[in-house]
Amino acid sequence: MSAKKTEYGEDQDLLMKKSDRRTFLKGCSVAAAAASAALTSGCIPSVAAENSEEMKLRWQEFFKKNYRLMTQEEKDATVARLERLAKLRDGLDVQMGSYPPLKGVLYGYGFNITRCEGFMECVAACVKENNLDRKTNTQYIRIFEMEPGKLDPGTGDGQYYHKVPVENKFYMGTQCFHCENAPCTKACPTKATWREPDGIVVVDYDWCIGCRYCQAACPYYGRRFNWGKPEIPRQEINLRQHYLGNRVRPKGKMEKCTFCIQRTRKGRLPACVEACPTGARVFGNLLDPDSEIRYVLKHKKVFRMKEELGTDPKFWYFID
Amino acid sequence: MQLFLTGLILLVGITTLFWGRARASESSFLDEVKKSTARFDNRSVPLVKEVTEDTVLSHEKYQGGSFRVLARKKNIERYQCSNCHNDKPVTVNRGAELTHGDIVLNHGSAERGLVCIDCHSPEQRDYLEDKKGRKIDFDHSYDLCGQCHFRQKRDWIGGAHGKRVVNWAGDRVVYNCTTCHDPHSPRFEKRFPATYSVPLD
Repeated sequence: MSAKKTEYGEDQDLLMKKSDRRTFLKGCSVAAAAASAALTSGCIPSVAAENSEEMKLRWQEFFKKNYRLMTQEEKDATVARLERLAKLRDGLDVQMGSYPPLKGVLYGYGFNITRCEGFMECVAACVKENNLDRKTNTQYIRIFEMEPGKLDPGTGDGQYYHKVPVENKFYMGTQCFHCENAPCTKACPTKATWREPDGIVVVDYDWCIGCRYCQAACPYYGRRFNWGKPEIPRQEINLRQHYLGNRVRPKGKMEKCTFCIQRTRKGRLPACVEACPTGARVFGNLLDPDSEIRYVLKHKKVFRMKEELGTDPKFWYFID
Repeated sequence: MQLFLTGLILLVGITTLFWGRARASESSFLDEVKKSTARFDNRSVPLVKEVTEDTVLSHEKYQGGSFRVLARKKNIERYQCSNCHNDKPVTVNRGAELTHGDIVLNHGSAERGLVCIDCHSPEQRDYLEDKKGRKIDFDHSYDLCGQCHFRQKRDWIGGAHGKRVVNWAGDRVVYNCTTCHDPHSPRFEKRFPATYSVPLD
């Protein structure tokens, strides 16, 4: 753990060094922004007057720091800007948060392959909760219909649509496993994805350049790339958002399961766990010896997928 | 000399490789998890959503102490049962419905399915009754179910069967057996999934 923390610290230092140049560039850009704003307002005053607030916010958004380098004030400022932009552009009253990880908490997840019956309520709940794109039917969770004896989802059927459960099959769900030693975070060239102290692997959507290296690095197919801004029916947009979680992502970003960071950091269960009709999903604090997930690890036969890769996922499958 | 040097380099290389590997496997976060035996104060987490359903304090204790379960009685449509099941004669129009003609019993093995009084108390209709003749409140049906499904009950108490309501933190509130299972037909019915998946990319 201590090794991890220093690594995290080194990242910070590395980013800090660069920030000098960034500050310089920021200075330039603010000047440029002022110049261009003056230029625009000079040419087409009516449009500029209408959009000046939006333009200003967008400029400020464009030159903000990586989330990990922001102070709490800067986080609050960017959240406020994003909320205001959502109001200006789409007329939505978004409540965005940037609440930090809870002390003494490391999230862990259990999936009971005996209990899951393939109803996919979790998938539907996840799509709604996380403002996923309805047009391309993006899903963070996948459920595979598996032959008995097989444990690799690659051999299962991920596109079934018939009455479930089917005799002599079992169902296995996959999503981001929030590896402790996550390969995706190492592949990112802009350090836009990292492991938070509570174990959640998150993406700073505004620092993601959409290169998809992380998608290639993930051995679990846990990441999704969006080819466009999520298209969601207006009344279905979840307005309770988190900066690192389910806010409506810009176009061309990498996204993934965040253990519903906007819920779990406020003590709530992830949407998939809450929706599961069979209780196949167990979620809790690994550092709490009394938690359900610790009970599962202690008393059940558990395994993790592709454990030999040394990625240390915090997602265990278990059987009754 | 050259052979010796190559051998030495190879030896050093292999040693470093194994040492590195050993170190990598040593530093698993699971060691930290196993070492973490101090109780976590679940109440320290500020909650955004409280459990709004009625709950009762469970008779059982889990590893973290006492916990609550979702109450059941309010969801039973015609509770109290003794409104009809008493000494007075009952005359009703909707006889088929009110004599529980709508209940399909599909519980137990095919050779010997359960009958009403396997779980319901024949004398005091407002209660369930286990095989030792103890009266069991409808809110505490786990006491009854657990006499056969003891493994499920054990897992339910620990947290590997069933689930918590709304929050992972805060005071523990879990679903009762009958919140998810229809006690007369406890297996989940087959149905179409809630959604479907498209191929990845």
